[in-house]
Amino acid sequence: MFEELLEDVAQKNGLREVNTTVKLAAGLGAIILCLLASSYLAPLFIALVLSAAILLLARVDIKTYAELFLVPLWFAFLSAIVIVLISGGEHVYWSWDPLPFLALAITRESINTGFFIFCRVIGGMSALFFIALSTPMTDLFAVMRRCHVPDFVIDLAMIIYRTIFILMDQVRQIYHAQVMRLGYSTWRESITTFAAMCGAAFIASWDEGDDLIRAMDARCYDGKFALLGECRPAGFRSVATLCLFLVAGAAAVYASQGMTLL
Amino acid sequence: MSSIVLEARDVRYRYPRGREAITGISFHVRRGEKIALVGPNGAGKSTLLQMFNGMIRPDSGIMLFDNEEIRYDTRSLRKVRRGVGFLLQNPDRQIIAPTVYQDVAFGPVNLGFDETAVKEAVAVALRQVGLEGFERRPPHQLSGGEKKRVAIAGVLAMDPDVLVFDEPTTGLDPSGSEDLMELLDELNHDGKTIIISTHDVELAYPWADRVILLADGRIIREDVPDVAFGNPVYVRMAHLSVPTLLELSVELEKRGFTIPERKPRSVLDMVHIIEQHTQGSCCHPQPGTITVCNVDEGETGTLASWVKARKGLAVGAMGTRAKQCAATESIPLEFTYGVIDKCILRALRGQDSLILTTGRMVDRVAVRVDAYGKESGNQVTVIFLDPARRSL
Repeated sequence: MFEELLEDVAQKNGLREVNTTVKLAAGLGAIILCLLASSYLAPLFIALVLSAAILLLARVDIKTYAELFLVPLWFAFLSAIVIVLISGGEHVYWSWDPLPFLALAITRESINTGFFIFCRVIGGMSALFFIALSTPMTDLFAVMRRCHVPDFVIDLAMIIYRTIFILMDQVRQIYHAQVMRLGYSTWRESITTFAAMCGAAFIASWDEGDDLIRAMDARCYDGKFALLGECRPAGFRSVATLCLFLVAGAAAVYASQGMTLL
Repeated sequence: MSSIVLEARDVRYRYPRGREAITGISFHVRRGEKIALVGPNGAGKSTLLQMFNGMIRPDSGIMLFDNEEIRYDTRSLRKVRRGVGFLLQNPDRQIIAPTVYQDVAFGPVNLGFDETAVKEAVAVALRQVGLEGFERRPPHQLSGGEKKRVAIAGVLAMDPDVLVFDEPTTGLDPSGSEDLMELLDELNHDGKTIIISTHDVELAYPWADRVILLADGRIIREDVPDVAFGNPVYVRMAHLSVPTLLELSVELEKRGFTIPERKPRSVLDMVHIIEQHTQGSCCHPQPGTITVCNVDEGETGTLASWVKARKGLAVGAMGTRAKQCAATESIPLEFTYGVIDKCILRALRGQDSLILTTGRMVDRVAVRVDAYGKESGNQVTVIFLDPARRSL
């Protein structure tokens, strides 16, 4: 029930000390390139490069990464199959009309579209995972401030971030206490036990909120929250790598214009 | 030095719809004192502590900080809370921010420091607790002892005069507790007044200047540790136990040993008492030496070879920075707490030892050894290691 969190992986990754803006630019740039691409090749290329960066530069465990990737991949795969079946085309390979309003067909065009969208999803996902696995939340707060997100939103986000972990810890303890006393042994039992856990967690978080206010008061809270600014300059190597990646990505987008699978 | 910094005058407090938690308490704390508030669970320790920085307002009676009555408007409370740093029992409840830096900076930022002052305050506080390099770590990844240190740093960054710790050693392993008590000593040496609440008598007995025994919301006894813990009646009333050293000394006294006016507060004192009885026969004729090294001076990396060249030398480290230095130079440490006493004990057995320490604590070694020499008549030589001669 409680595996290693994405955030924990991000806190320990090999690219932790690289300037946050550079990492964000790489991830967001990759997403934009995937959207601009008109062929399946460019997103695949981007996914390959970013996955290599996650595995080799950020040194994320390959098993962790594969597990993370597989969940949305299944979803994308099923969606692609639906697209292949329902979007029509001229070169029909196979067709079936089970109902008067439903026509299923596999055509050359539909395979091309389905595969293209599937690759786009892979590209976008690897870009998102690149950001999530290389940039911990704590670094994003400073970027949010620079992007002029209102202060109270950032402060709230920071307090929520901190309390999520405290709450999770409590839920974990309650859950273990319940399992030790055979709380989830039958289906009926597990429903009541789960409800009890929710109640206990709610009361615990309520208490936690009271304590938080007291702790802040005890330290003279005056509506201000410190932010840990960026103190890691964007080094020449990281910026050069970023530019190289974006240029190569753009070139791939341009060169592969109009290429299709079949 | 004997000016009063905190005072309570007949304070009473009753929890809403509850029993009376504090039933008329008066006492005072002098600047630079180490006070232990000792009592069983539910004695009102935490409630009393929270009155010191105005978190709880007494129903009647007054609290004074710096000889001024504490008032409960926002401005006055800010002043009090800046002067009295409070540490909750559970560091998780004290740490607010998502990273160590942000949490330690919380107080200074809200006190309106500018950015460079905040950075400076955070750096100093993290250095004091030995957590340099932890700035970007999120608190949920730290160990219990580290979290405690972060919480302490957060309080220290506001530079309070008085530090109030609610059960500082709960949840820490024995070596962690000893480390923490050493840190408290270090802070006290820097001029901070320290008040702790605890029910660990063994910890409070050697540490405190003064002990306040508390039970059922009242003060049972307020005195130096050996008197406060020495009376079995009070100790029983407060649901505590007599510290082992004190119990032992009482037993020895009954068997004809001469116990000095000042009761033994450490193993060293105890050994001295036994030694006198046996006319010094268990003392080595040629006492060993204690070498003191200030790790802030001289080049790093030279110390390890110096230590290696001397066989049979035991190394102890006093203070967080000295311990870090030993770790970076990979010098194995024999003693990490109660270092001076243990080195004197070694010297009495005729063995040499080296104490790694920093800044002001260098003098403390000499003072402590001198004081021991005067008291016992056993002279132990303290040598200050010249950084330039380390390579010899």
